[in-house]
Amino acid sequence: MSRFWRNVLAVGYREARVMLHDQAFLIALLVQPAIMLGLYGGVISTQPANVPWGIVDRSQTALSRRLVEDVQASGYFLRPRRVAGYSEAHALLRRGTLLAVLVIPGDFRRAAERGRPRVQLLLDGSDPLAAARVGSYVAQVAANVDVRRELRASRPPRPPARAGAIDARQRFWFNPTLRDRDFFLATIAGMLLTNISLSLTGASLVGEREMGTYEFLLSLPTSALEIVLGKLLPAVAVAYVLLLAALLGSGLCYGFWPAGSWLALFVVTLPFMLASLSVGVLVSTFARTSAQAIFLSTFFILPSFVLSGVGLPYQLMPHGVRELGGLFPLRWYQIASRRIIERGAGGAEVVVPTLMLVLFFAAMLVVVRWRMKPRLG
Amino acid sequence: MSAPAILARGLTRRFGTFTAVDALDITVASGTIHAFLGANGSGKSTTIRMLIGLLRPTAGSIVVDGIDVIRHPRRVRDRIGYMGQRVSLYQGLTLRENVEFYAGLYGIAGDELAHRWGALRERFDLGEAEAERPEDLSGGIRQRAGLALATLHRPRLLFLDEPTAGVDLHSRALFWELIQEEAAAGVTVFVTTHFLEEADYCDWVSFIDNGRLIADAPPEELRRRFSPGYRIELALPPSARAAARAALGGAERAVAETADGVCVVSPRLDGALLAAVARLAAAEPGARVRVEQPAMPEIFRRVLAEARA
Amino acid sequence: MSWRRLRTLVVREMRATLRDPFTLTILIAVPLVALLAFGFVLSTEVKGLRLVVLDGSETPASRRLLADLAAHGTFVPRRVATRAALERALVDGTASAGLVIPADFARTLARPEDPRPQVQLLYDGAEAVLAGNAEVYLQALVEASGATLVRGGPPASAGVRVMPRALFNPRLDGKPFMVAGTFGFVLSFLTILITAVSIVNERLAGTFEQLQVTPATSVEILLGKLLPLGAMFTLDVVLMMLTAGIVLGVWPRGSALLLVAVSAYYVSISLAAGLLISGTSATANEAVQKTVLVSIPLVQLSGFIFPVRSMPAAVQWATTLFPATHYIALARGIYLRAEGVATLWPELAALLAFGVVLIGFALRAMGRRP
Repeated sequence: MSRFWRNVLAVGYREARVMLHDQAFLIALLVQPAIMLGLYGGVISTQPANVPWGIVDRSQTALSRRLVEDVQASGYFLRPRRVAGYSEAHALLRRGTLLAVLVIPGDFRRAAERGRPRVQLLLDGSDPLAAARVGSYVAQVAANVDVRRELRASRPPRPPARAGAIDARQRFWFNPTLRDRDFFLATIAGMLLTNISLSLTGASLVGEREMGTYEFLLSLPTSALEIVLGKLLPAVAVAYVLLLAALLGSGLCYGFWPAGSWLALFVVTLPFMLASLSVGVLVSTFARTSAQAIFLSTFFILPSFVLSGVGLPYQLMPHGVRELGGLFPLRWYQIASRRIIERGAGGAEVVVPTLMLVLFFAAMLVVVRWRMKPRLG
Repeated sequence: MSAPAILARGLTRRFGTFTAVDALDITVASGTIHAFLGANGSGKSTTIRMLIGLLRPTAGSIVVDGIDVIRHPRRVRDRIGYMGQRVSLYQGLTLRENVEFYAGLYGIAGDELAHRWGALRERFDLGEAEAERPEDLSGGIRQRAGLALATLHRPRLLFLDEPTAGVDLHSRALFWELIQEEAAAGVTVFVTTHFLEEADYCDWVSFIDNGRLIADAPPEELRRRFSPGYRIELALPPSARAAARAALGGAERAVAETADGVCVVSPRLDGALLAAVARLAAAEPGARVRVEQPAMPEIFRRVLAEARA
Repeated sequence: MSWRRLRTLVVREMRATLRDPFTLTILIAVPLVALLAFGFVLSTEVKGLRLVVLDGSETPASRRLLADLAAHGTFVPRRVATRAALERALVDGTASAGLVIPADFARTLARPEDPRPQVQLLYDGAEAVLAGNAEVYLQALVEASGATLVRGGPPASAGVRVMPRALFNPRLDGKPFMVAGTFGFVLSFLTILITAVSIVNERLAGTFEQLQVTPATSVEILLGKLLPLGAMFTLDVVLMMLTAGIVLGVWPRGSALLLVAVSAYYVSISLAAGLLISGTSATANEAVQKTVLVSIPLVQLSGFIFPVRSMPAAVQWATTLFPATHYIALARGIYLRAEGVATLWPELAALLAFGVVLIGFALRAMGRRP
């Protein structure tokens, strides 16, 4: 084996031993995946649920009651609260007690007979996502009420016939019940790896400098590249352990297994991990103390999580922001992992994200090398 | 006889199963310099931190300046000055600003501060360093500044934890001059160090090894008990050597011939011996005398050897 | 406690901090970066979503439907020739939705008896959040288009039309929601992180010990460190408010003063939490791990982005124990709905109660000797 790789392995072995002695780190390694699996698999969802709503029913007819029942049947809402009028509705919405108030006018039935039945939905706009969802569900339900049939029949047939000129049948691919859970679980690995990568290199390299072992390292007959690669090795190993933990956890706890190629997933994880770690190395060249390294890292981790699309879809972000998010490795990794895990893609479909990650890593290496040069002479 | 400034009995500190300090008895008389010696990791810092109330002992009692330190650690703070292993000058502040800061904590301000600091600045030669930041000062100056800060509030006791570590020889000597001046003014000084030769600057020496006290006496007494004594070498022509041997020999003395002349080892440097040496030297033209004091490291090596045996 | 000593300690800390460009940058820049990142990220409006279309009909009617879909800019339709191509586009995620128009689309429309052609809408459910939004828009647009396509008046049967009106935020702009939430995020996570790490570092550097030998009490020493930090974070709140206003155009509808006051109190809660974490951490790294482990789930569950109502009942109840939940509710109430003390008192009371408990613990920890 060449001298180069022998040195790399030696540095790597030492790093691994230091890592295994860090109890806090090991505990975090166990606990973080567990927390994420619990949070994203079982607790967090963007689907509306338990929505408190109210009704101002000035019509009090079978039709109006029908509408209310249909809305209620969707399962997203709590039992509706009877609201007296606009001022009470405003007050309840302002207080946040209700998220929506459906106002059915007194002449609702007559308007329906004329072919123009309308109702008003007051929404608490301060939570725009929830308001938009609720508003659209109610609108859909209302649009599907077959008014003519309701007016004609005294006892409406079940199930209610659908209204509208075009019958649009909907299907959700890859996630038929449109549960958020799979959406989030697919990216847990990416989130874990981003978190870990910075504390692995950023703080550890700076910690070395603080302790003085860094200078000692440099005095050994190893090159900068060997040192960096040697430090990255055990970190990459940790990454794969976390990836496995995330996949096994999702599968065993929630029955959610990757639909696509495991191999492709493992392959694309490598450049992602290298890219994230290299950012940690770059941070360490700027930071003088480990505290500084930690704070600098937040500059990277925060936008990564926010702009990459792991929580909120990047397709909805305004144009400049969307492209900005593309600068972070996590964006490409979550695209790739969603493709593989949720959509069952194989290697071919994730070539582009993989290439982007490799490019990012290469660019980082150049920058790091340039930063480390003056130190090594 | 006034009460001792520091009185510790049965002082013990355990960290889990590890005993760092094991039943120490320490008595420090007022106005003396007490050296607390030992290797790294022998328990020196732990002891000093207990004495000043930073660390609670597992067992034992401590009375400093009449105050029960274990029960009322805060009451000693006005009376003691402390210089830790890491001299705590704040970076980002100039020396002057550091002085103002610590003075503020002791309630010294305005004219009084100006007066006191002016005097200290002179005495410790810190005039040029006043406007500088600690990171720009040399180790020796930082140590002096640390000592100055420790004495700013005129404490009756000084606790110095390895104050000369990492300082050059010249600055170290200067430093001890300042310490001895403080003692001369009546301040009790408790010093830890791992430079064994510094024991000679002190009035009393305690030697700690693995948490236990293995020597507790003035330096001369340790010398007397644990060393062969002073070594005097007299360079003499071969003809005079036999006579010299006869003249220098005596109780407790060992005389021998060397390549150059004669050497005598004696536990004490008493007047009779010195006179005999002087006569012999005067009698022979070209004779050279060399007196070697037993080195402290050697003495402590013997102390240690005996303790561990 | 001596006020003079406390003042000495605080002055020193402020001097050192103000002269440390790095710390200042972190203290100011990171919250602003967070604000800008979060502020732009939430949008309820769907625009420019890629839609693949398999038009089996190729008639004016189907082309009309496509034109309508493209008209608002909500969707960007792209034609494909085969079903396989459509499916592939969905699989590799190049399209977020698909529309399949059957061959007999126009003919069915022209039928007098039951002119309801069937189209198939396929969504990339892997992007569940996106699909949830896209679904409604696509459905609505198809409906609207359908209404105009049928000749001879309104369709055979019509549903009920809903006129939505969103109070406090008519255009359902995501920015105010996120801005108010970001205050909560910054003051929960970043504050605790910076506090914990700073204190651990001081302890490791030994400067605390030197102070403990002086007449200064442990409480004074720690307050001397925490008060300047608290002041800086409160200043951050003001800076964030100004930045949100100038850059994002989001100003608080209610009393800015009330928000700053509440935020200052919340900062003190976070400082207490940071102190408690630093007390149990031997190294800076450990402090970070603990902060991340504790803060991040707390923030996620506090209603910052994800709705609390959609969580399991037991978790919903648990979230009422987090100060962060109440603070974010307060921030949103003031920012978005111009609420004041009169209506916000339950959250204020809860925050007060939890804060007192946490600060109490912290004060006790401060007074302890090793």
